[in-house]
Amino acid sequence: MKFLLAIPLFFVPLAVHDNVVLTILIFTYLVGILAVSFNLIFGFTGQLSLFHAAAFGLSAYATYLSMVHLGVSFWVGALIGVLFVTLISIAIGAICFRFKLRELYFAIVTLAFSELIRLVILNWNSFTNGSLGINFTLTPTLWVPGRGVIPVAGTIMWYYLSLAAVVAAVFAYSRIVHSWMGRCFASIRLNDALADTLGINVFRYKLVSFVAGNIGAAVAGSLYSFYISYIDPNYFSLDQSLAIIAMALLGGREFVAAPIVGALVLTALPHVINVNAEARLLIYGLILILTILLMPRGIVGLLVRRRHAA
Amino acid sequence: MLQLVVGQLLNGVIVGTLYAIIALGVTLTFGITGIVNFALGVFMMLGAYVTWYLTDGIGIAYPLAVPLAVACIALIGLAVDQSLFRFTRNNLINGLIVSIGLISVIVAIVLMIWTTTPQNMHYVLPGVLRLGGVVVPKMKAVVFVVLLLVILFTYGALTRTWAGRAAYAYAQNAEAAALMGIRTGVLQAGVAAYSAALAGLGGALYASLYSITPEIGSSYILKGVEAAILAGIGSVMGSFAGGIIIGVAEGVGSIFLPSAYNDAYGLVFLVLILLLRPAGLFAPR
Repeated sequence: MKFLLAIPLFFVPLAVHDNVVLTILIFTYLVGILAVSFNLIFGFTGQLSLFHAAAFGLSAYATYLSMVHLGVSFWVGALIGVLFVTLISIAIGAICFRFKLRELYFAIVTLAFSELIRLVILNWNSFTNGSLGINFTLTPTLWVPGRGVIPVAGTIMWYYLSLAAVVAAVFAYSRIVHSWMGRCFASIRLNDALADTLGINVFRYKLVSFVAGNIGAAVAGSLYSFYISYIDPNYFSLDQSLAIIAMALLGGREFVAAPIVGALVLTALPHVINVNAEARLLIYGLILILTILLMPRGIVGLLVRRRHAA
Repeated sequence: MLQLVVGQLLNGVIVGTLYAIIALGVTLTFGITGIVNFALGVFMMLGAYVTWYLTDGIGIAYPLAVPLAVACIALIGLAVDQSLFRFTRNNLINGLIVSIGLISVIVAIVLMIWTTTPQNMHYVLPGVLRLGGVVVPKMKAVVFVVLLLVILFTYGALTRTWAGRAAYAYAQNAEAAALMGIRTGVLQAGVAAYSAALAGLGGALYASLYSITPEIGSSYILKGVEAAILAGIGSVMGSFAGGIIIGVAEGVGSIFLPSAYNDAYGLVFLVLILLLRPAGLFAPR
């Protein structure tokens, strides 16, 4: 029933004609997918992955480069991007979890892999155009009832596309979290040695969570890069990972959709109070510190009563 | 060719000791107090800026500016530990996230004061040493010797003094250590301040050799963590060796591969060591 909350969002463009507001919402939905999918790994399974920004960036590069070099459409390109990220995250997840890397060590090794990928993207000039990045010349196309296949352009079309994507992501992740798998994730988060003795295949469910989370990041990467029509190695930067963690923490770790609230606050903040890049960095850092120390359950956690431990 | 290799080897050793001093801070805070402080890298960066400001800005002599900067960073480390990390002692991931937040706060403040323009300190000690055919700047030799002495001092203090035994006891079993009369609160604060001081010293010496930018912190903390894990958390002389291994790999590697891939060596070592020998190269058995 909570999905009814999303219905008013579909009518926002009818009431609001301010492009700035709609643009903020589009960015909120797109990075919201990123934060929600990160929270599956971090909030629900308890693994601090620093690979999320890399999955986001890899999919963006894979989508665009496959469109340019293979001549496929955006949707096939996005599928290639998602499949590519799936394979990479199965490999990295299998390595990390087979060798039972936990907490700090998992965070460090996922960071090491994403830094290695960033170095390759940064230095493979002939293929990725290095630190200059790529300005997109292609746009996605979409079949719209009554208008046929048209390019996705303009704020309204992107608004509905990104809203549909974020609703689909929240729906998919809440199906996972509220299923048998979600209980396994919770038991791994609370005590993975105990989960193991209870007969839960800790390796398998950690891997499922890691891969499912990265698939969300891949979808977000394909859409986001085509919305701003530009990719560069900054997609992989530690600042990007930092922003993702900040959104998930600020929104609330216990609820599937809560990170979107964090995404909204952090996306809207620079527009509400006009600040420069340094001040934004300062605010991100302060939000991380203060959220951990003062409201570890996040904004949504403050508003909603805790129902059960898992 | 041989001269080039030996030169890069020596360069690698000197950069490696800078990595080692950060690795030592990481190994002490993580091994003894159980807190991962990624902010040690920005403490080093702050140490470099403070030293540069004291010498070139105010005009204090370099040998006097270094201890001042170190004391300043130790105080910041202590303040941060008491105001922030004290509340995350029971949760490693929370401490990690707080330290990541602290990085952006400090980097933002440094950017506001000193901008992104690289700052170069005046030459403290010009001139070179000639060892056979190899040329080593005098200042680099001084930096190496000072850092080596500090690492040896730390090793001695941990193994030969009451405070060192107390620290090991605390690392093994915090409750039992408290029952034996060790003031654990003071010990934790002391370790936090000491590791911040180490990072500050690394920065103060770094300032005399290379350009100072706000980004050096993140690069050095990554190398420091890599070296500490490569060596095995808790091993003091191991973190020295780990730093040297990464420094030398980068120095010698840059002869054969484009230097753009310099950051990759430590990452590859790190992944391999965690998979093949997760306790680290020099871990006590």
